[in-house]
Amino acid sequence: MDVLRIENLTKSFGLTTILNGISFAVPPGSVFGFIGENGAGKTTTMKIILGLLKPDSGSVTVCGERVRFGMTKTNRNVGYLPDVPEFYPYMRAREYLKFCGEVAGLTDTQIKDRSGSYCELVGLATGKKRIGAFSRGMKQRLGMAQALMTEPQLLICDEPTSALDPVGRKDILDILRLIRGTTTVIFSTHILSDVERICDSAAVLHQGRIVLEGTLQELKTRHGSQGLFIEFDHPDDTEVFCELIPPQWLGERGATEVRLRTADKRDEHEVLRILAANALVPLRLEVIAPSIESLFLEAVS
Amino acid sequence: MRSYIAFTKKEFLESFRTYRLVIMVAALAFFGLLSPFTARILPDILSGMDIGGGVVIELPEPSANDSWAQFFSNISQMGMLVVIIVFCGITANELSKGTLINIVTKGIRRHTVLLAKFTVATLMWTLGYALSLGICLGYTIYFWGTHDLPHAWLTFGAPWLFGVLLIIVMILGGICTSSITGSLVGVGVIVIGLNLINIAPAAQKYNPISLAGGTFGILDSSATVDDFFPAALICVGVIVVTLVASIVVFDRKQL
Repeated sequence: MDVLRIENLTKSFGLTTILNGISFAVPPGSVFGFIGENGAGKTTTMKIILGLLKPDSGSVTVCGERVRFGMTKTNRNVGYLPDVPEFYPYMRAREYLKFCGEVAGLTDTQIKDRSGSYCELVGLATGKKRIGAFSRGMKQRLGMAQALMTEPQLLICDEPTSALDPVGRKDILDILRLIRGTTTVIFSTHILSDVERICDSAAVLHQGRIVLEGTLQELKTRHGSQGLFIEFDHPDDTEVFCELIPPQWLGERGATEVRLRTADKRDEHEVLRILAANALVPLRLEVIAPSIESLFLEAVS
Repeated sequence: MRSYIAFTKKEFLESFRTYRLVIMVAALAFFGLLSPFTARILPDILSGMDIGGGVVIELPEPSANDSWAQFFSNISQMGMLVVIIVFCGITANELSKGTLINIVTKGIRRHTVLLAKFTVATLMWTLGYALSLGICLGYTIYFWGTHDLPHAWLTFGAPWLFGVLLIIVMILGGICTSSITGSLVGVGVIVIGLNLINIAPAAQKYNPISLAGGTFGILDSSATVDDFFPAALICVGVIVVTLVASIVVFDRKQL
């Protein structure tokens, strides 16, 4: 059973349509990248999953239970890290986690154990310092700890890395990597390198529609290679080779290197045939896999 | 119930650490202290003033009722102002800053949040008011001895009830608009509206605004319980309706 299933979700604010019939599912244990430009509707989708916003139509199911606007029942299975988590500035981190645990109905022992272990997991130094004096990175860490306090089946992170410095970003991604397998994660972002680093599957939201969805492997396979990279040991070989191949395939070229814009497997076979037929032995031959960035740009263009 | 207790504890901690509780208690205690002292020394101050032309101000000896007149005047004006200042951001701040998002997504029911806020605000107001009343009563008895306080529950409960009405109106205003301005506008509309209604003498008996300070009339025998009882009942009704409306609006609010 999918941890999260969204079907034909639509949402408008006034005359502006934000979501125009989006559907996708997140299988258990996966890290799902929800990609989209700023303002694409990622936060809106997440808030609908949490029952904070009312969809115009469509349905959202979390762990088999249908989400109802204004009701918080399904949220017992969900942890949420907002893009800019807001806390009570007069509280200390441990006090806040204790409060979250009590609100969620955890026992005192669970609260004590979890607040300790999650503070450690997110690398949050606890002390007398009140949250009001926390840096952005520390708040993001605390946000992650509070989202994990209930040990949710589904963790929803809204652009958790977008405003952090490289070290903070790496730390948050490391935490997500640590919990993968035990917790299903849906994580929205417009930083595509983050998706490549930790996600198993992804969906691209563009102009209110899902324009691309699947596992990263599937997406890359489905969209084929982006061409070939060939390196020869001698410039003469490069010269000969470039004269033999159809000119439309020729990409960037160096003295001993050449990039080819082949379209599919048949073109790639043809390249191999040309090399073999002319006794050209390259030092290196690589299939250039498409990056998420190139897939994203292709999908939204 | 555990969520309600947790949120109530958080509200108390917030009131304590943001000095709201201290401000409320200190200000109301000060008004309680000020009232008997003003009544006691005002005639001395006025009689000692030389306004020229051989005019001599003669005032009757101050009495316990002068002290209570000051108390009702202070509570109905400055006291209510303190209530408004302390509680105008009670729901608006959480909604505008987004601090409730983390909490609501933990599975707490929205009306639990609202009821906890209402409970704590009402308890703080009750504490401040009781302290103010206690101090005023103590010094009034000290200066003028024991005296009769007819229909004390209605007489002294009336301003408290009006304070509770202001609190719930500010909660509803904050929920509807997610802004302090909304809470203040809500209070402004209620106070101005009730004052306009009060222009009609026939409506005064039923008007909750008469509870703010009007019940002093019971003490100086210029009014009776019957002049305020309907207004008290209507005030309770308005509080309940506003509370229910707040719950309904909050449950349907997009966060």
